[in-house]
Amino acid sequence: MLPRSLTFFLALAVICMLGIAAILSAFWTPHPPTALETGPPFASPTWAHPFGTDAVGADIFSRTLSATHVDVGITIAVVGLALLVGTIWGSIIGFYGGWADAVSLRLLQVLQSFPALLLAMLVIFALGNGIRNVILVVAVIPLPDYVRLSRAEIRSKKTWQFAEAARLTGRRPIGVLFRHLVPNSMRPLVANASINASWVAATVGALGFVGLGIEPGSVEWGSMVAGGQAAVGSGGWWISFFPGLGIFFLSAAFHLLGDALTDADISRRS
Amino acid sequence: MIETRRPILGVSGLHKTFRIRHSGIAKSLTAVQRVEFELYPGETVALVGESGSGKSTVARCIARLIDATSGEVVLGDLPLTHIRGRALSKVYEDLQMVFQDTHGALNPRMTVQATLEEPLRLRLHLSRNEREERVRRLLESVDLGPELLDRYPRQLSGGQRQRVCIARAFAVDPKVVLLDEPTASLDVSVRGQVLQLLRRIQKERNVAYLLITHDLALVRRVSERVLVMYLGSVVEQGTTAEIFNHPTHPYTRALLSSAPVVEYGRVKSRLRLTGEISSAVDLPRGCPLAPRCPLVQASCLDSFPPLLQVTPTHSVRCPVVLAGAGAGKDAIAPVREHSATDSTHGRGRR
Amino acid sequence: MSSDPPLAAEQATSTDVLLEIADYSGGFTSQTGVFTHVLNGVAFSVARSTITALVGETGSGKTVTALSILGLLPRTFRRISGSILFEGRDLLKLDDEELRAVRGSQICMVFQDARTALNPVFTIGTQISDVSRLHQRVSKKQARNTAVEVLDRVRIPDPRRCMRQYPHELSGGMAQRAQLAMALVCRPRLLILDEPTTGLDVTIQADILELIVDLNRNEGMTTLFITHDLGIVAETCDAVVVMQYGEVRETGTCEQIITSPRNAYTQMLIAASRFQGVSE
Repeated sequence: MLPRSLTFFLALAVICMLGIAAILSAFWTPHPPTALETGPPFASPTWAHPFGTDAVGADIFSRTLSATHVDVGITIAVVGLALLVGTIWGSIIGFYGGWADAVSLRLLQVLQSFPALLLAMLVIFALGNGIRNVILVVAVIPLPDYVRLSRAEIRSKKTWQFAEAARLTGRRPIGVLFRHLVPNSMRPLVANASINASWVAATVGALGFVGLGIEPGSVEWGSMVAGGQAAVGSGGWWISFFPGLGIFFLSAAFHLLGDALTDADISRRS
Repeated sequence: MIETRRPILGVSGLHKTFRIRHSGIAKSLTAVQRVEFELYPGETVALVGESGSGKSTVARCIARLIDATSGEVVLGDLPLTHIRGRALSKVYEDLQMVFQDTHGALNPRMTVQATLEEPLRLRLHLSRNEREERVRRLLESVDLGPELLDRYPRQLSGGQRQRVCIARAFAVDPKVVLLDEPTASLDVSVRGQVLQLLRRIQKERNVAYLLITHDLALVRRVSERVLVMYLGSVVEQGTTAEIFNHPTHPYTRALLSSAPVVEYGRVKSRLRLTGEISSAVDLPRGCPLAPRCPLVQASCLDSFPPLLQVTPTHSVRCPVVLAGAGAGKDAIAPVREHSATDSTHGRGRR
Repeated sequence: MSSDPPLAAEQATSTDVLLEIADYSGGFTSQTGVFTHVLNGVAFSVARSTITALVGETGSGKTVTALSILGLLPRTFRRISGSILFEGRDLLKLDDEELRAVRGSQICMVFQDARTALNPVFTIGTQISDVSRLHQRVSKKQARNTAVEVLDRVRIPDPRRCMRQYPHELSGGMAQRAQLAMALVCRPRLLILDEPTTGLDVTIQADILELIVDLNRNEGMTTLFITHDLGIVAETCDAVVVMQYGEVRETGTCEQIITSPRNAYTQMLIAASRFQGVSE
């Protein structure tokens, strides 16, 4: 049922650590993340400042830690939203078919024909920065995958006899859909959600980097990487490095988790 | 035997066609046509046929899992064909179905307890304890113990799963139960037990069974009347004795003569049909068996043959065989059996 | 169990025995390392030119036994003891190359679901020709002609048309005949059929069974017929081996087994097949 591979446990461990960091950092960090002059500016990593300090003397460790709850939070919010909307949408059109199905598929095709990151950047440019816009835009872009997946699952499972049997217990068709069919379709959707989370984490970071995420300069990994760009040339590698590492770990961990879940799903089916 | 009882289920003029697209062209697939029969309380009627006969479609139309194109299904006094919503839920207290695939007929994520509670939960207002008690008794009634309540379908054997399906169907004490190949997916040694269970329940509750199957030995053992279907229509119907001792329609004879029997040294003399079953898409006029029938004549291709009575209980949809036979069910038209490799392989060859 | 493997057909001498399985035991190791016995001391023989039935329900080990003959079991299977002698050679002692030479040309197998046993992306003609070219030195043209011939032998109505068709275009009965053709093309000495008619309509099943019996009668094709249907056994087979839970319960001629079975399990199986436990 659950995968037992090393990959799975490692990925889960990393995500758990990041999750704990996210929760913890909302209450405490060594230095306030926005505090200036906590130490000498441009100081390379030391015990006092494990990740060093930036141009205004802010502690990078605290900032990186604090940004965890922003990036992890946004990732989970986005994936949760996309999963919820995608599953409901896909399940309904998969079950009932008809014109809603045809129209939906065309709509999704149009959406998918745009290059993802470019679309995200354009829409945020048009709508403006802010956490709400980021979440909405980044949730809409991977929606087609969720819709198609749940649609395919429902379409294949609705011919199974337990769905017919459920009708005979007196359930309305919509009850059969959400009480019986959807719970049985969740496995591939969860695996997809995990892999999607990896993309989301990277994309949020990318948007922050180009200044199209939440407010530029805010405590968010992508934004911090952008902020440290200039210093790299003069040897101040740590300013961009550690936030970048954060993006990397979050993204990679979700991807590996998704891989492990997909493998487990495949070996279960065979 | 004259029926003075009233039928519990009546089917008349049942038609079902599907609209399909074949290479971009819209076509009509005739799954069921002109099916008509009655079911009386406490009896077992078998609907027999091979794949493509339409027997499963008939069952699903009766159970309102799909909508018939035309025709009427009556349960007691209640016409079923246009009922929806809450009224339909009520119908399922009297009409139930047991499915063939024991594996797919149970929700893999629900325990036995949850599966059996569902039919109770949706219609009766019982307290939690009362429900649990009912579920326990249900399990007992199908000879299963309460230790199975927390198990999932994958942890049960085929026979156990089928019993759970039967328990689920009888949770609401129905008057008619459609049995769709109830033992086909079970091991031979388990079949007898499940059938005996169904028999026992039938005697206790006077339930009527519509048995949908292709297993002729089973039909002979448990049913009182038989309807033989081919390509959507009933080609012959009668009592079990009539069908098995005096099969008349060429298809019935082909079917019965082809089925293997657990008997050594039996000389098998088959009525052969040429080719394979035709497509149900855009069915031509005329008898559906015409392309394959050894007795085919020009008139068979022109018009759909009517169902003709041989006795008050025995009807055959083949004027050709009846014309050759004359009146009386004993004289049957001589059959032109043709096959280059006609082999009557009894055991005498070694 | 006596040390001599019981002979499944009457009056067979050792030269008449094509396949002899002796004291064959083995099982599967699960992912967690647990070993489950699947076969225990299986022993029987198949006499030349007979149709021998291997009868059992799920879990009897009949399919595992058949796959053992051809070495088609997954790596998780471990043999504990026994031998499988085919014309005197122990198949279990052959290396991969020798086994490949036997498979497809001397021993062939036909599976239950023809449409998944055939490769969906190649035509029937291609698949059959491939098999003959794999084992014999023939040209493409010769292989195709042989393919047409063998399709005719299995009574496919229009062999040349069938050559160009894909498995999904064939009906269940036709696909099974095509699979049979693929098995026969190299004229094997032993034909193993694993539930070849399960899932087919009764009338089609009867046709295919007649074909199999004719192949045996006219060409002396030794056949091992795996099935759970005793009706089929009674009407087509000469000798019977009954298995349950990985062990052989009884062997004998068809007449002996059907009319006077001695083993309790065999008796129960026959009674159950006749639905004798069910009241009228």
